[in-house]
Amino acid sequence: MTETAAPLADAPYLDVADPAFSIRSQAVKDARAQSWYARTPYGIAVLRYDEVQKLLRHPKLRQGSHLWPQHNGVTTGKFATWWCNMLLCQEGETHGRLRRMANPAFSPKLIADLQPKFQALANRLIDQFAAKGECDFIADFTEPYATGVICDLLGLPFEKWRELADIAADMGLALGVTFKQDLPKIEAAIARLFAYAEELVADRRAHPSADFVGMLVKANTENKDQLSDQELLDMIVLAIFGGIDTTRNQIGLAMDMFVQNPDQWALLAERPDLAKAAVEEVMRTRPTVTWVTRAATETFTFNGLEIAEGTTLHLYGQTAATDPAVMPDAERFDITAERKPHFGFGGGAHHCLGHFIARGDMTEALKLLASRLKNPRFAAPVEWLPDSGNTGAIRMPLAFDPA
Amino acid sequence: MKVHVDMSICLLHGQCVIAAPEVFSFDDDGGLVWVKEIGEDLRADTEAAADACPEQAIVLEG
Ligand code: HEM
Ligand code: SF4
Repeated sequence: MTETAAPLADAPYLDVADPAFSIRSQAVKDARAQSWYARTPYGIAVLRYDEVQKLLRHPKLRQGSHLWPQHNGVTTGKFATWWCNMLLCQEGETHGRLRRMANPAFSPKLIADLQPKFQALANRLIDQFAAKGECDFIADFTEPYATGVICDLLGLPFEKWRELADIAADMGLALGVTFKQDLPKIEAAIARLFAYAEELVADRRAHPSADFVGMLVKANTENKDQLSDQELLDMIVLAIFGGIDTTRNQIGLAMDMFVQNPDQWALLAERPDLAKAAVEEVMRTRPTVTWVTRAATETFTFNGLEIAEGTTLHLYGQTAATDPAVMPDAERFDITAERKPHFGFGGGAHHCLGHFIARGDMTEALKLLASRLKNPRFAAPVEWLPDSGNTGAIRMPLAFDPA
Repeated sequence: MKVHVDMSICLLHGQCVIAAPEVFSFDDDGGLVWVKEIGEDLRADTEAAADACPEQAIVLEG
């Protein structure tokens, strides 16, 4: 049965553009209790589980990031060209074709081989600060770890991580409010990323291999009409762009949840087999991607609400997955609980392509961190990105008892 | 080869439909339908679909 929704003007209003807005605020919870959607300065916010689940796969919605450069007055240059052509911004046939070509490189079998490398990387980073009993968890762990994982994936030596992290950070400026002003920096960064990608491709053409880049090069060599030389490079750049900040932020958010729930950290240290479930529970309660963006390709009615062509919808995965109406104890952080699936990797056609990698590397990281850092607590206030959109910590001064 | 989908964990992402459109598709109500028994010609695509399924809901036999 579809419930009849209130007319749009009566729906709760959320001032998402206010820098102080928090997606975990009481205002959002109240709105969720009142209505499945809210009005925002950007469009419609979808707040409940079933609606988010259904709209993530709705055939009349497309991924909504394709107009981002244009909205910011950026229509030419390497970044805008890459953005508009890469997987996330494609739909239908082209999206399917690119995804089919990329799938083998992201296969769970390929990722399983990287697991020992993830462990070695995590241990190596923890070794550098463990004895001190303190660290900046972001600068000393999550950032080099997230970037190191991408180095492992691409077959680059770990020593490249700083350079890659800096390039990724400059690229990340493209997602911020100062996109246009930062354009020269962003263009320089993406030019360097493409240079990296070209080098990697040239290497695998000369020395074919079955690793991540090797699989993409193979797809390109065997099916030029399905994955062009340019699309191959675009995909490698996307993996670097899409994989670093997300992972860095998500592991920082995991630590935040465990600092708030010390009993769960102690439990994880005792039972490392829970690390996989812990990743899921973190992403349910504290995802870095708090919403995904969709746009209506034509006017349609959903749950009694008419959604006009061109409307932007933000699907609030975090709000939906912590709704007490669909989950008992939804706000409690419990790594042993059976939960409904979360939306931290999105869903539908654009479901995160790197999720096997991300799940694998975060599982190994949490396991080792819990066994080596006892009783973690904040040594000074954490510096946060805004608590909406893609969120996370910028600085996280952490004190702990070395194991 | 026999194709099973564990519908208790399938979340209808449709990644299988993208990977192997001749085997998996959505019906008009958005439900997942698939060819239960496939020939050798579709093996590679179907294996790719099983690999790509985010929930790992696809089980192949034979
Ligand atoms: C914790 C880490 C990560 C999180 C939280 C995350 C989250 C997401 C989300 C929510 C989407 C969907 C966006 C949308 O529908 O609008 C997405 C897509 C994507 N992610 Fe991730 N991601 C992570 C790690 C990675 C990694 C490590 C890679 C690559 C190595 C990656 C590559 C991609 C790609 C290529 C897409 C686009 C898929 C498509 O459009 O078909 N991600 N990610
Ligand atoms: S890819 Fe997996 S989860 Fe998605 S529809 Fe196919 S079987 Fe279901």
